[in-house]
Amino acid sequence: MLKNFLYSQKVAPYVFVLPFVLIFLVFWLYPLASSAEMSFQKVMLGQSAQWVGFDNYAKLIDDSMFLKAVMNSVTYTVMTLVILIPFPMLFAVLINAKFMWGRELFKSVFFFPALTSVVVAGTIFRLMFGEMEGSLINSLLGIFGIEPVKFLKGHTTGFVALLSLAAWRWMGVNILYFLAGLKNIPDDYYEAASIDGASTFQKFRFITIPLLKPTTIYVLTISIYAGMAMFVESLMMWNGNNSPQNIGLTIIGYLYRQGIEKNNLGFAATVGLVLLLVTMIINLTQLALSGLFKKEDA
Amino acid sequence: MKKWLMGLTMMSLAAGLIGCGDNSSSTGATTSVMDDGAGETATTLKYWTFVELHGQHFQSMLKKWNEANADRQIKLEVSVMPYDDMHNKLSIALQTGQGAPDISDIEVGKFPDFLNGTPQLESLNDVVEPHKASIVQSRLDLYTKDGTVYGLPTHVGAAVAFYNTEILESAGVDYKSIVTWDDYKKAGIQVYEKTGNYMGTADTSAGWQASMMLAQQGKDFTDDAGTPIVNSPEMIKGLSILKDLQKSNVIATVAGGQPDTEEAYGEFNTGKYASAMMPFWFMSRYVNYMPDLSGKIAIAPIPVIEKGMPTSYGGGGTGTVVTKQAKDVQLAKDFLAFAKLTLDANINIWNTLGFDPVNTEVWAMEDVTHNKDNKFVQYFQNNPFEVLNEIKDGINLIKSTPSSPTINNVINTTTFNEIFENDKDVTEALNEAQSEIEQQLK
Amino acid sequence: MERSARLNKILLLVLFVPLSLLILLPFYAIALASFKPGKELIRYGLNLKLDFSVMSLDNYAFLFSGNNDYFTWFFNSMLLTIVQVALTLFISATVAYGFSAYEFKGKTFLFICVLMIMMVPFEILLLPLYRLIFNLGLMNTYSAIILPGLANASTIFFFRQYLLGIPREMIAAGRVDGASEYGIYLRLILPVMKPAFAAMGILNAMGSWNNLLWPFMVLSNPSKFTLPIGLKTLLTPYGNNYDLLVVGSFFSIIPIFILFVMFQKYFIDGMTAGAVKG
Repeated sequence: MLKNFLYSQKVAPYVFVLPFVLIFLVFWLYPLASSAEMSFQKVMLGQSAQWVGFDNYAKLIDDSMFLKAVMNSVTYTVMTLVILIPFPMLFAVLINAKFMWGRELFKSVFFFPALTSVVVAGTIFRLMFGEMEGSLINSLLGIFGIEPVKFLKGHTTGFVALLSLAAWRWMGVNILYFLAGLKNIPDDYYEAASIDGASTFQKFRFITIPLLKPTTIYVLTISIYAGMAMFVESLMMWNGNNSPQNIGLTIIGYLYRQGIEKNNLGFAATVGLVLLLVTMIINLTQLALSGLFKKEDA
Repeated sequence: MKKWLMGLTMMSLAAGLIGCGDNSSSTGATTSVMDDGAGETATTLKYWTFVELHGQHFQSMLKKWNEANADRQIKLEVSVMPYDDMHNKLSIALQTGQGAPDISDIEVGKFPDFLNGTPQLESLNDVVEPHKASIVQSRLDLYTKDGTVYGLPTHVGAAVAFYNTEILESAGVDYKSIVTWDDYKKAGIQVYEKTGNYMGTADTSAGWQASMMLAQQGKDFTDDAGTPIVNSPEMIKGLSILKDLQKSNVIATVAGGQPDTEEAYGEFNTGKYASAMMPFWFMSRYVNYMPDLSGKIAIAPIPVIEKGMPTSYGGGGTGTVVTKQAKDVQLAKDFLAFAKLTLDANINIWNTLGFDPVNTEVWAMEDVTHNKDNKFVQYFQNNPFEVLNEIKDGINLIKSTPSSPTINNVINTTTFNEIFENDKDVTEALNEAQSEIEQQLK
Repeated sequence: MERSARLNKILLLVLFVPLSLLILLPFYAIALASFKPGKELIRYGLNLKLDFSVMSLDNYAFLFSGNNDYFTWFFNSMLLTIVQVALTLFISATVAYGFSAYEFKGKTFLFICVLMIMMVPFEILLLPLYRLIFNLGLMNTYSAIILPGLANASTIFFFRQYLLGIPREMIAAGRVDGASEYGIYLRLILPVMKPAFAAMGILNAMGSWNNLLWPFMVLSNPSKFTLPIGLKTLLTPYGNNYDLLVVGSFFSIIPIFILFVMFQKYFIDGMTAGAVKG
């Protein structure tokens, strides 16, 4: 009886998707709801929670450190977009060019860094950007007669180090995305354009860029997502969550500091919710602006 | 049907197996079981630390304990974890009532966090009592709340000056003539002009120098009630002196931000900085990390603002505690007192760790302090204990209060950086620090 | 024409060769450092000096000496990665099959939930999840790491797209032959999903092998540490661990490199799976 029930074509699909439903409820929806609840409470691990109304939100608005964290995360995200979209697109087009030699080799080399973990890559970059005269970057600058720079102590130079790490790890991956996108552009388009006498630049501008739009949107979306949630890179770069003048403090870093280091779960949950709200708004606006919804409807 | 179910069962079993296997018996750098002389019936105690060397000290004391206490033998399971990590995990384990070790180290800067509310630590008053007369009281005070001692100190941490005599001599400077900061400045200018090296560091990520300046003026980061006053006139004066030294090229910021970092060891080792004003335990860093300087370093009292001021303070430290979750509280407490407060323990702390022991009887034991085989004695030009005994009465206490962790975090990440890296006005930077601290403590 | 093509080729090489060298530079630096004593690194920083007088195989000897926890971490990571990937792939494929092969009530709603997960940064859930894991008594277990990721949204999404490309006749034929719904999935569908499994397997394995934050939060017992956590614990000023850190970091890259060279196609398919919507 039960067997027949479970084996009916009506019930089977529910059995198939059951694992997802369970995991979604227990490990996503419940935590999300409990996060919302915690944001109105004072919660310490192992102690009973107290309702505090909007106290956490009020505290957050006044919190200059949180503002700093938000600014850092936003700056980082914007800068990664500026670096990690146009350059990979250009490199992908060049690698894809007919007369390119050693295409597979260069593709692999660009991809190598993506294989390293943040822990290893972060450690290497921390040491490379060390402030000693003999540290790699400073010794290279020394060749050009430039004085050693204390990279990880300054706001701008600290970001140079962080962005170099991001560029190094993700350039190759983004190139692959764009290469995959390029494959979907039929050759006829270019041939037709050539017959019409279009220059290489014109072809890039009027065929490649518009037709790569879906790929660009995808890369944009995941980059925003990754940029706003960045934390471990900073943790490794400064060997801890406390950087000089908090130049490397990100939103998740602040969440971690409040929640784990200070065991102030309620306040940290509020930080998390605000981040969720911000990422949702950015992503939805971005999707709306780029006309993705319209295209899906059509 | 059966296959499908079987598959699922196998998977959940596999996941369960991995999940449940909680028995830890690994050997190596991070967790190790010390069972020197322990028999079958020995009790296993868990000990957490963030300093690998502390484990070595416990090991030698464990051997002696097991020899002397055949009926109460101990095996010690030592876990070494990174600083932040160990304190975070201990804090969670204590608050939730599960997963804490029997014995743990807690760094002095973090200790106040563990004394909030009802401390989840055992009172050590009874085991401290027999040793009280011979121990520096102020070091116990650091780990005391309302008359109850919760942690046992490892060292006094008396701050002294370390001079690289090779550099000083090549600049024609005699470190013995340096008494005040004015003398230090003159000598430093000479060193910079003659050798191009700096006399010392301007610290941006630690409060050693600020503590030193406050202690000389009989002040602290907090007032008597424990309220933070980091913009006091004394603090402004102290940091202004340091800022002036930096402007005169006497001191300069160092890689790593302060002397006690790996980057800075490298800089000292290559002779870029001629002096460091650090707590006594910094000796061990010289011996372990700066081999090139062996035989070149002399120890002296720290310069003062005006002659006659106290020259030193007790800096840094680790309080070792017994947690409320200890399996055998009395055994853990007795062993801890044995390993940290007895005369034997204190001699061993000097011999293996190179720290200034809290039992000052050791300071007067010539055969121990002047032992020719001791690597610390061999490394330095003059005997460390001669300086220690000279400054003995001028070692001030920098208090540890509930607001200390916040104060340290603000000044060590922001304020000192602003002053020494960004050239911000001292008073302005300290005023901002004060309001930031007040806001965070609200 | 011939001539300008050659010129273009040279110009491209002039751009790409230095760029590639720049990308390889950090690998070279860490490889070089793995032959030098840690003290050298602390004293002079990470540099490109090829100084044979200080270079030796000592670090490698120490790595393999067994006097450290490196290989405990290494095998923990390996075990965790294998179990996690196997379970995640199987469960995600099952769910994806449910979505692709059937019409049922609530399907659209559930699929929107899948898409929603893809838009919520996991980091936001760190704290509530942490408290949940704690309340479930799963702290310090590998279950705490595996369970929340079992139904991986992007993997489900990819599998669904892949399955949509499989002819429905296959399923119908299976029913005619009298196979049960589950039998069709296990015996007919799973075998044809191999390429998709390879791509997602590699993507998930890379994520699992390199994952730090969540495992770091829930594991506190050093004997259970994974490689990234273990390497991170070596970064402490209270022990001279740079020897092991550098050689261990370098060594941890090697297995993934070998896999990459062997299965390059699947790596690339896996990584770009999201960008090319089926």
